[in-house]
Amino acid sequence: MQTLARAAFYPIARLLLPVCLLTACSGIKPYPNTLEENLHLHTMTESGSLFSSVRAAVDIYRVNARCQTEYQGTVALDSSSKAIGIPVDQPSYLVFDFASSSWLASSSSSISYDTLLTPRSGHDYDIEVSYLDDIYNVAILERQHRNGNSHDVGQRSLGECTPR
Amino acid sequence: MKSAAALTSILVTVFLSGCAVMSGHPQTAEEFRKAVPGAYLGKVESFEVNRPFRDVAGTFQKKAPECLHMTIKTTSQTNMSYQVIVTTYNPTVLVSADKAELHLQQHHEAGVLNVTKEPEGGYYLLVADAVPVDRNTTRVDLYRPSVGFDVLIKGIKGWASGDIQGCPDLTKI
Repeated sequence: MQTLARAAFYPIARLLLPVCLLTACSGIKPYPNTLEENLHLHTMTESGSLFSSVRAAVDIYRVNARCQTEYQGTVALDSSSKAIGIPVDQPSYLVFDFASSSWLASSSSSISYDTLLTPRSGHDYDIEVSYLDDIYNVAILERQHRNGNSHDVGQRSLGECTPR
Repeated sequence: MKSAAALTSILVTVFLSGCAVMSGHPQTAEEFRKAVPGAYLGKVESFEVNRPFRDVAGTFQKKAPECLHMTIKTTSQTNMSYQVIVTTYNPTVLVSADKAELHLQQHHEAGVLNVTKEPEGGYYLLVADAVPVDRNTTRVDLYRPSVGFDVLIKGIKGWASGDIQGCPDLTKI
């Protein structure tokens, strides 16, 4: 009886393990994009080599009144434009991750750019995300709906968050 | 590949100061400037950019802390070995009316045994001095490693010229 149970268990476990690793168990979840879209992300990635690749993604965290972060989800950034919504008039913590892998050298690495962003109501944010030949960049432009005026938003570290 | 990069990084640290084990590593940026021209893996490179000195200095002040102040963990594995090196990079930017200096130091948190006295903040890896030539031209003297660190040097040159707005991927050096 025990042998039968074990025999049934292994194929199921084998089937579930990759699913588990790829979804919930990995800790990565898709960002539930339910709010009005105020971030417009434009991404361009090029590893500079035929034998390597770069993937970009942004992790979105909500920041509470005590400046503690709570992971909300991840948006994969391919070489196209995407729009997402994050809460206005409260800080979010955005972590842009650039993951490189080389098939020839069987190596991988990742580097990230993080910033606090507090979107204002009545404003949109154009975010240019690039990784070209080992140089990465995240440029955030705040644009006012009413008159189209825009200006750069600099990087703000999580340490600059002040408890409310 | 990763092992080679890590080894290059360590060898550069050792040889950049010119027979460092015998005489000790430079303990200040000024000692580093003097040591690099005679160092085995050191190089002094000078170039001019068509940008006002104030802009170059401002870019160093903005980009160095944003892009170079970080800790990188490198893992390399072969059939016979497994190595983890953790390196913290510490940039310093000093600006006066007629000179902007960018110093980059590296401190190995793990995986490397230091045999010489390490300056506070880590061994000097690179110094970039920018001085005004005229209203719209700035000269940059780079005291740098002659091998490896290509992306870092590309980034700093690009900041000086204004051609690069982003950060060099320090996992690639």
